[in-house]
Amino acid sequence: MESTEILPSDDLRSDEEIVAAVVEGEVDSFEELILRYQPRIFGMARKYFRNESDVEDVVQTIFTKTFQKLRSFKQTAPFEHWFMRLSVNTCYDALRRRAKHREQAVTDLLFEDESWANRLDNIPDSDDPEALDKASELVHSVMGQISDKARIVLTMQELEGRSIKEISELTGWSISLVKVQAFRARKEMRAAVERFLKKEEKL
Amino acid sequence: MSASDKDNKFLKLAKAIPLNEQGPSGFSKRIMVKVREQNSRETTMADERFLRFARNISENQHTPYKFEKRIMALVLDWKTENPFTVWSRVLWRAVAPCIGIMVLTALIAFNQDAPITDSQPWLSMDNPEENFEIDTTDFETVMLASFDDLEYTW
Repeated sequence: MESTEILPSDDLRSDEEIVAAVVEGEVDSFEELILRYQPRIFGMARKYFRNESDVEDVVQTIFTKTFQKLRSFKQTAPFEHWFMRLSVNTCYDALRRRAKHREQAVTDLLFEDESWANRLDNIPDSDDPEALDKASELVHSVMGQISDKARIVLTMQELEGRSIKEISELTGWSISLVKVQAFRARKEMRAAVERFLKKEEKL
Repeated sequence: MSASDKDNKFLKLAKAIPLNEQGPSGFSKRIMVKVREQNSRETTMADERFLRFARNISENQHTPYKFEKRIMALVLDWKTENPFTVWSRVLWRAVAPCIGIMVLTALIAFNQDAPITDSQPWLSMDNPEENFEIDTTDFETVMLASFDDLEYTW
């Protein structure tokens, strides 16, 4: 696993200082921003995309877009907020583009080695990469059945524990839209889980 | 009357009573409330189980080897842009103003309906607005004067 380079605390510049330097032409400073944020962005992207190459693609798009739009960043709000908003929106756009290829039959998403119900009961150990991979497969199979907007809201609300207001700020959607999507997401998720369990019972 | 006759009479009477199939009012609704409660409890359990499971998966923040170098290579590539790309971008930007000028000139040309006479001076000092009214044939003669002279050299 690649560890992030940690600079000595005295040399740490704030995000805003780095952004200002990049905008003024010190392009190499952008690498500092990448190193600072890439673990978080990879973690976030893996919640939306199962395939590792898709994850890398979307993270690459996020950073290149950030560089292109850096001049439009107003120093009135923290860089982190602006950057996370851009990241979430890029993930959403990528999800929408992939929507056509996403549809899969429920039976294709059932596991051969272990029942769905059994997997749900075995919460994976964080030290076991194989178990984590299996768990991630299960989560993605359910999340893949949910509409894109609802998926973004469900992930942020239920898995990351963010409030409706935070989600609204991150996505740029109105609070009422987030609330509607949160309700829809729970409904869609419930239906998907039931579908998997019922299909497995029949087989 | 024997005991068996009494039994038969009783059975006959019992059979003669019509079957009352009517249930208490709202009974089905009462049952359905219970069925829905149970169903929602089961489904809630399933989705709660799923959410508990999903929340407990630790976030994988692994970063591919030298990923930042890859991004920096892309970024630096943009920084040293091809001059032709920049030139074509500038040309495209010039399209809108050019079209605007073209439309404006066309409008001015079509709105010039007043005929210009030969007696009219080329440049009027008294009325500067008349300066715009230039006869096209005169204009052509002036423009091609140098080429006309060229013919005489042969």
